[in-house]
Amino acid sequence: MSEIMAIASGTWKNILRMKVVYFLVFCVWVLVGIASMYEVLTIGYHKPLMIDVALVLNTIAAVLVVLSVTFEIPRELRQGVAATLLTKSLGRTQYLAGKMVGICIAGFVICVLIAAGAFLIYSQTFSERIAGTMLQAQILLILSIIPMSSIAVFFATLFPDVVAPVLTILVIWFAFSTGALSNIPVLYGGILPNLDFFNFKSHAVYLEPIPGSYILLVTAWGIAYAIFLLMFTSFFFKAKDIK
Amino acid sequence: MEEFVIQTEDLTKDYSNWFRKTPNPALKDLTISIPKGCIFGFLGPNGAGKTTTIKILMGLIRPTGGTASVLGKPYDDVEIKNRIGFLPDSPAFTPTLSAQEFLDVCGRLLKIPGNERKQRVAEVLEIVRMAPCAKSKLGTFSRGMLQRIGIAQAILNRPDLLILDEPLLGLDPYGRQEFKEIILGQKHDFRASVFFSSHILSDVEEICDSISILNKGRLLCAGPISKLLAGGGMGLTVEIHNCDEAVRELMASADNVRKTGASDWEISFAQKTPELTTKLDALAAHYGTPVKIRHANDDLETFFFKKIEEDNATKS
Repeated sequence: MSEIMAIASGTWKNILRMKVVYFLVFCVWVLVGIASMYEVLTIGYHKPLMIDVALVLNTIAAVLVVLSVTFEIPRELRQGVAATLLTKSLGRTQYLAGKMVGICIAGFVICVLIAAGAFLIYSQTFSERIAGTMLQAQILLILSIIPMSSIAVFFATLFPDVVAPVLTILVIWFAFSTGALSNIPVLYGGILPNLDFFNFKSHAVYLEPIPGSYILLVTAWGIAYAIFLLMFTSFFFKAKDIK
Repeated sequence: MEEFVIQTEDLTKDYSNWFRKTPNPALKDLTISIPKGCIFGFLGPNGAGKTTTIKILMGLIRPTGGTASVLGKPYDDVEIKNRIGFLPDSPAFTPTLSAQEFLDVCGRLLKIPGNERKQRVAEVLEIVRMAPCAKSKLGTFSRGMLQRIGIAQAILNRPDLLILDEPLLGLDPYGRQEFKEIILGQKHDFRASVFFSSHILSDVEEICDSISILNKGRLLCAGPISKLLAGGGMGLTVEIHNCDEAVRELMASADNVRKTGASDWEISFAQKTPELTTKLDALAAHYGTPVKIRHANDDLETFFFKKIEEDNATKS
């Protein structure tokens, strides 16, 4: 476990030291704040707009953070950083798990920052307390980083850094679009990822509560899916020559 | 306790795959045994298979055939890596981490406990003379500085075996001298065995006990340096007690003459010729045991080129 956390600490420190991350967070806060100016255009629905914008932009930020690993892992493999680490008493599965945990931690920190800023802007703009459903929706969004990071690690390990980010975005887009594929139930929630499980923007906007048991179940699914995909990735990674 | 730190038998690596049908052998039937406590130089021209061998031993690539064991365990055993220190050629590290942070990550991977780890990181930074740069980001380091950090992470766990791929690359003359002192220190203080590849043959000759030479994936020779280089030289030295007309005639054609005692002489010849051999045979027959002939040793560079050229001529 300490080996996984050692790799994870290197990964999240690497991401959180990128100045562009804080620029991204600032831009999201600005865009959330701008939603308050659309009172006339939205005929008084600027409050739901702000809630929705905050969730959408936080999702995009989460995807961008997750995408960073699709560049980092191929770069580490190409430049020999991975070779230096894998010649310690570190299994290849532990290396991938460490990368995944590191991305999750970095993603959690960034998304919590964004959510906190959005809540502050919301409460200052409308002089209201944050509703529980808004908080639940943000928590679910942040938890979606777990399966997303496993998807990114999968493509980053097996594909070059030109192709891996594209494939990752396509799969994540597909995974959020599973409502449109409801005729193929066997595909999602099992083999293919179904990130719609984490998508409760409408509940947040219309203040419909999300059961706590659902949040726990979907978290368990996300973790189980991530572990399954990690094992699958590791099977191929163990056979790969690291030149 | 293992007698050999590294053993390979018919180790083979072919980089051909279903895209590339024609065989691309990087290593062919390599069989070597490196004894414990040895500083072993692994030599060969570019593309000989040195890095391939080292990466197989470190479990980074899988051989196509044969077996390899390190410290008595199979090459892909993960736990044995706690006893090995490895330096890749052209080491690269996470650029946004500081030297101290990166070594701390390495220490955690090597299961060095917390308090000891902090102390040990400071110690190795001192050894490689990088303590002033401990908190600087690795992305700002020069080639030589990265090489020093690479050596630091390799010796962090006081390994039983050091495997180093081109460790002298990027180091200035002072750095090379410090590196040699570190290697000799590891051997004498911690009884570490060292296995390293290098193109700087003068340094290899200076510190290695044994060497092997690879060419085009094949092992050409292996063994103690003194044995491999003995008697292969072009010249010879004659030690003689007494000096008569025959000896004076010999001295006249010598490259160097040195008086070593009241009636003792050392006469050196840079080149051994048939005429000289005839004269020396006659001298030895006349004087008997007072005449001693020592054949000069090759230096490592001459021996290396000879071996490679012989092999290339045989195979072409």
